[in-house]
Amino acid sequence: MSTKDKNILDAGGKYPFKVSDEYFDNLAARIMEQIPEENQVPQADNARTETKVIDINARRNRQNMWIKALSIAACFTLVVLLSIKFFPTLSNEEEATAEMTAQEYTDDDYNEDLMYYSMADYGDVYSYLSGAE
Amino acid sequence: MVNGYSRQLYWQIHHLTQNHEDTDDVLQNTFIKAWKGIDNFNADSAISTWLYRIAYNESISFMKQKREMASIDDEDFIGQATFVADEYFDGDRTQHLLQEAISTLPAKQKQVFCMKYFDDLKYEEISETVGTSIGALKASYHIAVEKITKYLKGKE
Repeated sequence: MSTKDKNILDAGGKYPFKVSDEYFDNLAARIMEQIPEENQVPQADNARTETKVIDINARRNRQNMWIKALSIAACFTLVVLLSIKFFPTLSNEEEATAEMTAQEYTDDDYNEDLMYYSMADYGDVYSYLSGAE
Repeated sequence: MVNGYSRQLYWQIHHLTQNHEDTDDVLQNTFIKAWKGIDNFNADSAISTWLYRIAYNESISFMKQKREMASIDDEDFIGQATFVADEYFDGDRTQHLLQEAISTLPAKQKQVFCMKYFDDLKYEEISETVGTSIGALKASYHIAVEKITKYLKGKE
């Protein structure tokens, strides 16, 4: 390495480019001018704009879906709780009704039903029991 | 945001592009991208670091597009700049030669060299901004100095 080159690298340095302060003063305004254009974007960036809209809708749809799911779950839970509370009572009533029916259904009732379905009357029964032809 | 960071970003981008027009384009793209992606900004890192990374990526993709248009295949090679007619260049012949040498470096080495050599930043500061380890930065700087030295020797 020559002495001159060594000096270049050892010296550190001043960056040999300049730019006016006016450039930075106007930069923000120039960028802001472009941002609305980016939003309006007629053709090429339509898809990007639509994507944003879709994202918003998707988020809203997700929220609605969760609300619906929670509502359904709450209704289902309520039904289950009510069923647990009232189902045994109904069951007891049914059992009680069945027991009462069995108790009231006596032998006489059975005989009357038997005669009815065999189309016989009491005369037929007496003659059968006495062995008369 | 523009008023607070435009100067810092301008010179960081300029280290890569080495001309005002390209720097202006990249800087505007950087702020527009930052504006669009502000929701993605992770508050864990400094906003200057976040902006720097956008600017760096924008610079690389800009220069890549430019290189593709110029049909140069080497991915890291950005292209040797010329400063003869650059109205924003404010240096003598030696500085002109140095800028030519810098223009032959790959992007990362160019950035590290300029931040160290011109901006006089410590490796710790560069590491925070660039997101590269101090060891890797030292290696990049060392390689960059070797390449520049070799280039300047060839110009003797």
